[in-house]
Amino acid sequence: MRLPMFEYAEAKSAAEACGMLADAGPDAALIAGGTDLLVRMKRGLERPARVVSIRRLRGGLPAVARDGARLALHPLATMAELAADPLLEHACGNVAAGARAVGSPLVRNLATLGGNLASARPCADTAPPLLSWDARVRLQSASGEHSVPLDDFFTGPGASALRRDELLTAVEIELPAGSSGSAFLKLGQRAALEIAIASAAVRLTLDRPGGTILAARVALGSVAPVPLRARAAEDLLLGRVPNEDLIREAGEAAAREARPIDDLRASAAYRREMVAVLVRRALTAALERAGGGR
Amino acid sequence: MKRDFQVLGGRAPRVDAGDKVTGQALYAADLKRPGMLFGALAHSPVAHARIVGVNADRARSLPGVKAVLLGADVPQVRFGVSPARYDETVLALDRVRYAGDEVAAVAAVDPDTALAAAGLVEVEYEELPAVLDASAALLPGAPQIHDMYPGNICAEVHQEFGDVAQARAQAEVVRRDVFTSKMQSGAFLEPQCALAEFDHAGRLTLWSATQTPHYVQRTLAMVLGLPEHRVRVVMPRVGGGFGPKASASSMEIATCLLARATGKPVKTLFSREQVFLHGRGRHQFRHEMETGIRRDGTLVFLEHRAILDGGAFASFGIATVYYAGSLLAGPYRLPNMKYDGWRVVTNKPACGAQRGHGAVHARALFEQQLDLLAEEIGMDPFELRLKNVMQAGDVTCNELNMSSLGMRECLEAVRSDCGWDEKRRQGRRPGRGIGMACGFFVSGAGYPIYRSRTPHCTVRVRLDENGGGVQVLSGAAEIGQGSDTMLATITAEALGIPLDHVTVRSGDTDLALDLGAYSSRTTLMTGSAAKEAAESVLRQIQEALARATGEPAGDFSFVRGLLHLRGLPHCVEAIRAEFQKERRGYSGLPAEGPLTFREASRFAFLERGLITGAGQYRPPPLGGGFKGAAVGTSPAYGCSAQVAEVEVDLETGQVKVLRITGAHDCGQAVNRTQVEGQMHGSMSMGLGEALTEQVLFDARGRILNPNFSDYKIPTALDAPELRALIVDSHEPNGPFGAKEVGEGGIMPTIPAVLNAIRDATGAVIDELPATPERVLAAIRKLGRHGPAR
Ligand SMILES: Cc1cc2nc3c(=O)[nH]c(=O)nc-3n(C[C@H](O)[C@H](O)[C@H](O)COP(=O)(O)OP(=O)(O)OC[C@H]3O[C@@H](n4cnc5c(N)ncnc54)[C@H](O)[C@@H]3O)c2cc1C
Repeated sequence: MRLPMFEYAEAKSAAEACGMLADAGPDAALIAGGTDLLVRMKRGLERPARVVSIRRLRGGLPAVARDGARLALHPLATMAELAADPLLEHACGNVAAGARAVGSPLVRNLATLGGNLASARPCADTAPPLLSWDARVRLQSASGEHSVPLDDFFTGPGASALRRDELLTAVEIELPAGSSGSAFLKLGQRAALEIAIASAAVRLTLDRPGGTILAARVALGSVAPVPLRARAAEDLLLGRVPNEDLIREAGEAAAREARPIDDLRASAAYRREMVAVLVRRALTAALERAGGGR
Repeated sequence: MKRDFQVLGGRAPRVDAGDKVTGQALYAADLKRPGMLFGALAHSPVAHARIVGVNADRARSLPGVKAVLLGADVPQVRFGVSPARYDETVLALDRVRYAGDEVAAVAAVDPDTALAAAGLVEVEYEELPAVLDASAALLPGAPQIHDMYPGNICAEVHQEFGDVAQARAQAEVVRRDVFTSKMQSGAFLEPQCALAEFDHAGRLTLWSATQTPHYVQRTLAMVLGLPEHRVRVVMPRVGGGFGPKASASSMEIATCLLARATGKPVKTLFSREQVFLHGRGRHQFRHEMETGIRRDGTLVFLEHRAILDGGAFASFGIATVYYAGSLLAGPYRLPNMKYDGWRVVTNKPACGAQRGHGAVHARALFEQQLDLLAEEIGMDPFELRLKNVMQAGDVTCNELNMSSLGMRECLEAVRSDCGWDEKRRQGRRPGRGIGMACGFFVSGAGYPIYRSRTPHCTVRVRLDENGGGVQVLSGAAEIGQGSDTMLATITAEALGIPLDHVTVRSGDTDLALDLGAYSSRTTLMTGSAAKEAAESVLRQIQEALARATGEPAGDFSFVRGLLHLRGLPHCVEAIRAEFQKERRGYSGLPAEGPLTFREASRFAFLERGLITGAGQYRPPPLGGGFKGAAVGTSPAYGCSAQVAEVEVDLETGQVKVLRITGAHDCGQAVNRTQVEGQMHGSMSMGLGEALTEQVLFDARGRILNPNFSDYKIPTALDAPELRALIVDSHEPNGPFGAKEVGEGGIMPTIPAVLNAIRDATGAVIDELPATPERVLAAIRKLGRHGPAR
């Protein structure tokens, strides 16, 4: 449980970081806040010979920038910044809520958005909210840059489309037209420092306040090998004027789509049941925020 | 019995606060000695196995490694807690009994090398079937873990007081319930750490994060084959203990053996994972109770069976299994009580003593039953308890003597403070609940863990030769609970001087004898000894003044450090003149007004030479003559009542405790802030044990959550509003009337929370901790039949 020895380097630009990764080969790891990596290194789950810090890459850039309907989140934005960002709170409130749900104030001061996504845990608290906004991530390596929908990014517990020589350089959201509302709910045993037993992030976009659902997103955490979109639940909601019954049915549909496991935190059966509760509650809150009818 | 005190009962800051909050205080891990090496242990990865072969060649040849000790290299002396159950050896020789058992100890030039070497020790195991729970351990044909515990039974108790069979016929309402729990950790902040050094005369000093230096000293002497006077055990500052640090460990002994093997100081520091592997926290309990009352609420009988899963070694387990039964005899009049308890060994980390030793989960079930019984006869839970509470002077059916007992006062205090009657009148709101419970605990174990008529502690109070300063020399174990401040306060009060005149040195076997910080004994016992020693010092000063002035010695006393004279102060001038003449060039000397303690104590030294006072404490003969009567006896008993208010999410099972109102009778508060601190600590710890804390194992007996991410202690955000009400009684056997507050305060927390959950949901929680999933399952179990009430 002691940190093993490693070589440490600090990159001054994204290009330099990519170069360093390309040079060092599979033995290198990026470090941002270090709240995942260092824990894994202490537990012997990872043993990089070389650790490349990207903390300097942020420069003076803001955590969240908005250009018309386009929102760009900096991967080095800390959870504390995202949690308190007024722009984010206003545009995609459940992402800020996801950031607020991470760890404790100490952890949130260090933990970054890029690290949360790159570590690709099914329980990552910013993943379901970002999935609910169809976010895309920009990936850069020495050989170029490309953009991937977050929905295609996660491939398994701890596995993603990110290659070892790649850097996650931006998280982008195209804000939909219409009247949107979102919510994120996380279930744990205690009020902080919790890995979610289950979590749900939803977003509803109505054609107008009190109108029909133009787009519905239901994303789940900790109930599948990856942060999971509940598409059957989304389909159920699409094009309908929401009411209590519909919302309950959507929760139940999401529960059926979950693929939870038994572990030390909870049983699969409990998790599945909780998905129905969380999704129903989150949809109810999101609908209200979207100006949905009562 | 109200008395005016000068420093006692106040809110002075703790004497160690400044050093602790600034980081100036040194804990064992901070200590360094010249040439120091670092120790590490290798642990068995399997729960039960024969050791077929061990090869330490690779470990020994790692550069920087100075010693590798295997089972065959260490003394084959068995040790443990109770001499009748010595069942541990420093390192496993031919058999490992749990995943975590120590198989090798290594010393190296730095911690990384030591850990790497420990990882290079190759042990070949032939796995044996493991027994991972108590019921499996008790089955005929179960694998046997120790030859000395046939049937895997480490201790059993069978007691009956009164006549339960006859009482059952008189009971009008009877309930039978079963309650189970999981192993829990003390979760103290500071992991165990020990630093051992031999001097060139061959005398051993061990600095250790322990709560019982005396028992560690004895164990080291016994295992290392040294006379006690050649073993010194010192506590640096210690970051909590709660019981699991109350006995000598393999790690401590191995560290001494490594120091002996290398001729160098050696320090070993546990990781949090090792804290969990070493264990010695709360046992896993299964309680079955049948309790009967009359329709008017009178308690008639209790029949109780308990099975304790104790892990691989006895540790404190004999005491635990006795406490689990004996401490239900109060604080209510219970004329008939039958108890059968079994403490079983399994292939898991050993369990031992933890805050509220043995009695906490038994109390949790009993107090839930009292609520259920009250409901059956349509009586308010407070009324049922008030109908049965004991009072000062009562003796329980198992001969525990309530020399003071403010149980009724505690009940009344919390009932009115939390607005119980109004809240209950308002009726039930689904998801909101209020519950209450009581508790009761010893104020110091009546007997040491080894058979002896030894005093339980000695204390010296020594006057500084220069005058003014007072040093308390004690062996008491300050583990964060505040015993140094308690000793300073009692000494200052006895002498009539301000707290800042007193310096406390403690936690060192060279200074004095003290059994240590366990069983909530230190204030009553070491406090009594300090008071006796301080009073002796005061007498010597009085006598010096009396001789010089011809006035009766009893006329001299100090109030806030100033001499109070009943007669005329004609002696002051000469003493003051001499004091000033000795200090030519000093500034700030006392010039007018009454003689100061500084002047008087200097004068006393000049007249009589070195002034020291000795004090000691040995409990009076206690308890009955039946087998096991010693466990549960105490010179005094503390008691408490609590009310918990909760909110339960009926769809997820999540419980939020909104407020706990607690009242505790501590006799006389020595320092009110510290009493409240102990009460807050007890309630917070109880909250965690009630809702979130459990050590989890996989199917092969390995701990799944040996860290604070997954072993969940409540965070600041989970903490409810805590109200601590101090009830002062007067304990005739305690110093200035004081008795315990260290552990008793945890007793009511779990049942108060569980009773509140039942009030909110109708569901009875029969297993700890009450995780959301368990609470939801309990709610579901009600099904269509509706609440159990
Ligand atoms: C006590 C504690 C509590 C926690 N609680 C929570 C919680 O409640 N919810 C939650 O979701 N998480 C939690 N975490 C996990 C962790 O804090 C988050 O996942 C965090 O966001 C990780 O960010 P980081 O900057 O610290 O990542 P790092 O540890 O620096 O990196 C993590 C991984 O991501 C890679 N990486 C980082 N940035 C980039 C990038 N820009 N491009 C490519 N790869 C990158 C690293 O190479 C590494 O593999 C907790 C951690 C701790 C220690």
